[in-house]
Amino acid sequence: MSFDFDAGKYAIYLWPAFAVSAVAFAWLIGDSLATARRWRREAERLQAEFDEQRP
Amino acid sequence: MDARHTFDFLTNPERFMAFSRWAAPWLGGLSAAAAVIGLVLTFMVPEDYQQGDTVRMMFIHIPAASLSMFIYLCLGIASLLSLVFRHVLADLAAQACAPIGAVYTALALITGSLWGRPMWGTFWVWDARLTSVLVLLLFYLGYMALRGALEDEQKAARSAAILALVGVINLPVVKFSVDWWNTLHQGSSTFFADKGDHLPAIYAWPAVFMALAYLGGFGALWLVRIRALVWRRKARSLSMKLAEGAR
Repeated sequence: MSFDFDAGKYAIYLWPAFAVSAVAFAWLIGDSLATARRWRREAERLQAEFDEQRP
Repeated sequence: MDARHTFDFLTNPERFMAFSRWAAPWLGGLSAAAAVIGLVLTFMVPEDYQQGDTVRMMFIHIPAASLSMFIYLCLGIASLLSLVFRHVLADLAAQACAPIGAVYTALALITGSLWGRPMWGTFWVWDARLTSVLVLLLFYLGYMALRGALEDEQKAARSAAILALVGVINLPVVKFSVDWWNTLHQGSSTFFADKGDHLPAIYAWPAVFMALAYLGGFGALWLVRIRALVWRRKARSLSMKLAEGAR
């Protein structure tokens, strides 16, 4: 068996389906990691500020 | 470890953060590996004698559609636990899985539509399966909109949890719509299919690997998004303490 990337007359349906899926996953991964990183940094910054203020 | 201890383990935020710190990258890595193998197999299997090359659409459509229902079930269970036991982590788990579920459901509808056009002659038809999946997407969007609309976080969490539980009723409708009504959408052709409707064996491996990739992807993304919400909660609590200290 070998790779078959020639979808012929169905290419206009097949490739957009794979492209949309790839874009959706790229967005999900990017957004999840960026949001997690942003809130982790914010929590760490506030924790440091809070620790400084404690007597 | 009995069921009660497992439940306690998962509801302790500190233990959850320690567990998810290594579990999320592992799940993500396994999911990526499964996706690579699944995609290689997707483009190596021969085209179907009836559907031609569009059969490859199956390997991204079915996992998205199956996971859209599974994720909603997770949303429903987490919502129930947050309502009954008032566990913060259960509420965060429900909140974290809604956007992932919405994306999976949208993908199921879009890829299904792109598959439907060459096979059925139309992108969309108001049959029971397609309509009930659209309703599923609306439940996800409604859940997220409700959480964002109410300022009081506790009230938002409770209202959204009730909405999520109402939406669980739609899951058997989605699953059995092809059996209960005459639909353009075909019946099951995988594990629970009638004899003769089974997926040909050559398509089983790409289907299994892509299903594992979508499942692992959901698991990893869910953990990462719960972690983000735990940190956000901590940041908000700290900023309130700092504001009180400044008075």
